Amino acid sequence: MTRTILLALFFLTMLAGCAAKENLIVLDKTADGTVGALQVSTDKGSQVLAESGTAVRIADRDTPPSPPAPITSEESQRLFADALQVHPLMPESFLLYFKLNSNELTDESQKLIATIVAAVQRRQSKDISVIGHTDRLGSDEHNRRLSMERARVIYNLLSAASIAESDMTIIYHGEGNPLVPTADNVAEPRNRRVEVMVR
Amino acid sequence: MNKSLLASLLVLTLALLPFTTTSAAPKSIGKVKGLRGLVSIQRDGKMKPAFPNDLIYQSDVIVTGSDGAIGILLDDNTLISMGPISRVAMDKFAFEPATNEYAMRLKMQHGTFIYQSGLLGKLAPHAVELQTPVGRISMLKEDTSFRAKIAE
Repeated sequence: MTRTILLALFFLTMLAGCAAKENLIVLDKTADGTVGALQVSTDKGSQVLAESGTAVRIADRDTPPSPPAPITSEESQRLFADALQVHPLMPESFLLYFKLNSNELTDESQKLIATIVAAVQRRQSKDISVIGHTDRLGSDEHNRRLSMERARVIYNLLSAASIAESDMTIIYHGEGNPLVPTADNVAEPRNRRVEVMVR
Repeated sequence: MNKSLLASLLVLTLALLPFTTTSAAPKSIGKVKGLRGLVSIQRDGKMKPAFPNDLIYQSDVIVTGSDGAIGILLDDNTLISMGPISRVAMDKFAFEPATNEYAMRLKMQHGTFIYQSGLLGKLAPHAVELQTPVGRISMLKEDTSFRAKIAE
């Protein structure tokens, strides 16, 4: 009788042991070396991962995740080898700055056009976004239009530099996506920009 | 008179409704950047094979075969890759900084995943929902990258 119970317990432990290994979340470094942080939550608890190369394991929804523990880079590489092979390159982004309330490029930014063209050719990119932004001086509506005009100026410059128009998309964010957050109606030269994203 | 005017306005509004709801062309939310083996996209109840540079749409479900792998770049620069025998549902995605619309709900149903957060993680971290059958993953910092293995 005791033997049967022990045996049953043994199998249960085995099962739990297997299941516990099945779900795994590993915090990774980003391509540029940054380490973020995340929280893993089941119905019964949660754990925070804040160190790269550490992992939590989850048996099921009704069990709290395991505390973070290191995982070897060999194990991680082995588990995720296939996904790693097709993982896209992080898009490269270039910022071009404009004069106050104007769609005229600053002189330094004028020189970046050649660098962008080189990046497009190097990556053989057919997916280039030209994204206009403004600072928060002026109305939302005015800034939306200004951000569009700024994007259009860059689009035309890139097109003149032999980048196919069919490979480019114009997007404009007005003042909604500042590089440097400010209060409304604050002039901030670093937000007066067009971002060219080469994907 | 007033009544009939109201009635005709109502009829007109009702007649126009179907057009206003269907006229918005579906907007893509990302693109296939890396691909290996057989990968299928389930869209509007149909399965179609995925090819490099294919567009991804909201509500797509992406399924990899036993030799399949796919790397996807979403419009906000979120990167998601999956290895073989994996399945993800792109339930919801909105990235419209011009109008402050941000949303993302991905269900990583099973398989192996690599995730690198993009601009949504920076501009609206609380709008990002990553679900798995065993629990959810929330970003506590922008620029977070993780790998996940979810059992079938």
